[in-house]
Amino acid sequence: MNMEQEKLASRIIDYIGGKLNETDKQLIEQELVKSSEAYKLYEQLKEVMQVMDSSKELEPSAKLRNDFEAFLRAETEQGKKSKTVFFSTTWYKVAAAVALLLVGGGTGYWISQQNRQQNELMALQKEIEETRRLVLAQMNNDQSASQRMLGVMAAYESVQANKPDDEIVEALVTSMNTDSNSNVRLAAVEALSKFAAEEKVRKALIESLSKQKDPVVQIALIQLLVQIKEKDVMKSLKQIIDDEQSLPAVKDEAHAGIFKLS
Amino acid sequence: MTKSIDLMSDETLMEAVKNGNLQQASVLFDRYNKRIFNFLARMTMDRDLAEDLTQNVFLRIIKYRGSYREGMRFQSWIYQVARNVFSDHYQVAKNKTSGFVDVEKMGDTIMDSYESHEQDEREKLLHKSLAMLNDEQRELLVLTRFQQMKYEEVAVIMDTTVANVKVRVHRALQKLREHYFQLERI
Repeated sequence: MNMEQEKLASRIIDYIGGKLNETDKQLIEQELVKSSEAYKLYEQLKEVMQVMDSSKELEPSAKLRNDFEAFLRAETEQGKKSKTVFFSTTWYKVAAAVALLLVGGGTGYWISQQNRQQNELMALQKEIEETRRLVLAQMNNDQSASQRMLGVMAAYESVQANKPDDEIVEALVTSMNTDSNSNVRLAAVEALSKFAAEEKVRKALIESLSKQKDPVVQIALIQLLVQIKEKDVMKSLKQIIDDEQSLPAVKDEAHAGIFKLS
Repeated sequence: MTKSIDLMSDETLMEAVKNGNLQQASVLFDRYNKRIFNFLARMTMDRDLAEDLTQNVFLRIIKYRGSYREGMRFQSWIYQVARNVFSDHYQVAKNKTSGFVDVEKMGDTIMDSYESHEQDEREKLLHKSLAMLNDEQRELLVLTRFQQMKYEEVAVIMDTTVANVKVRVHRALQKLREHYFQLERI
C-alpha cells in the first residue's frame, strides 16, 4: 500500500468513526461515489471495525475471584502477623494437614519415647507423609500461580528451620529456578532464606544467582546472600557487573553487595 | 458504607491499599478484573493463561502497592502492570513468542458460543486475523476497539503521543483488514 492509499484508508477510518469535519466528510463521500476501489476499502474497513465493536466480552471463571480472595486474605493476615499464612476454605485441607504435622511430630516423639502404641506412630507418620505430598503437589500446580504461591508459603510453614526436609527444600529450589511466575520465584527465595544456615541451601542460592535472569529475583538473592555474609558469592556478583544484559538496578545491588562483603 | 465505597475513585481506593487497607483491593478487583482478563485473553488468545496472568496483575498491584504514585491515574497504572505481566510471561517462556499462535485452533479456544452462525464465522475470522498481527498492533486494536479506550488514554499507557497512537492504530486496522479478507478467500 502506497502513501496515497494509506492516507485514503486513514481518512476512511476517521469517516467511519465520525471524526471528520463537514468539509472533509463531503470530500470522502465524493471519493466513495467516484472510485469503486475506495468504496471497497470503505466496506471492508467498516466490516472489521464492526466485528470488533460487536465482539462479546469474555467472562472469567469463578476461580479467578476465589484465588484472588484467598491471596488477599493471606496477604492481609501476613500484614497482621508477619510470616503467618492464613488458609482459605479450599486450603483447610492443607492447613489441617500442616497442623497435624506439628501436633503429630510432637506426639510421635512422645509415643516413641514411651516405646508403645506402635500403630499410632505409623498412622502419624503416614499423616506427615500426606502433608508433604499435599504441599509438594500444590507447588507443582501448572494451572495457577497463586496456588503455587500458597504452596510455597505452606512449605515454609511446615518445616522447622533447624530440620529442613530435603524433598521440600529441593522443591523450593526448583520453584526458585524454574517457576514461570516471578512472584512464585520470589516467594521461594524468601522461603529458602529460612534454611540459609544449611551449606546445601547456600550453594543452591549462589548457583541460582548465576542463572537468574529476572531482575527482581536477582536483587532479592543478592540481598539475601549479602545478609548471610556468604563470601562465595563474590564471583557471581562480579559476573553480574560485567554482564551487559544486567539491568542497572541489579548492577547497583551487586556493587553494594561487593562493598558490604569486602 | 457500601455506597460510599462505590462512589470512591479508583485512585482513592488505591491510596488506601497503599496505606495498608488491603481490603479495598477487592473493590478494585471488582471494577477491573473483567477488563484486564479480556485484554489479556485477546493478547494471549488463551483463556486459561489469561486468567493466570490476570491473577498475577492483581498480585503485583498488591505486592508492589508501594510503587503506586499519588496522582497517577489508576487505570493507566493497572494496564501498564498488565502489559508488563504479559511481556514477562513471554520472556520467561523463551522463544515462545505470542506471535506463534496456532491460528487454526485458536478460534475455538478463545470463544464460547455465539448467537448466530454468521456472527460466529466472522468472529473466528477476526480472531485468526488478529493472531496474525504483531503484539503491538494487536494490543492497539484490543485497547481502542475491544476496550473502547480513547487515544489519549492509550498514549499514557504506552508512554507516547496521541498522534503516534492514531497513526499506529490506523495502520493496525489496515493490516487487520488485509489479513481478514485474505483469509476469507481461503
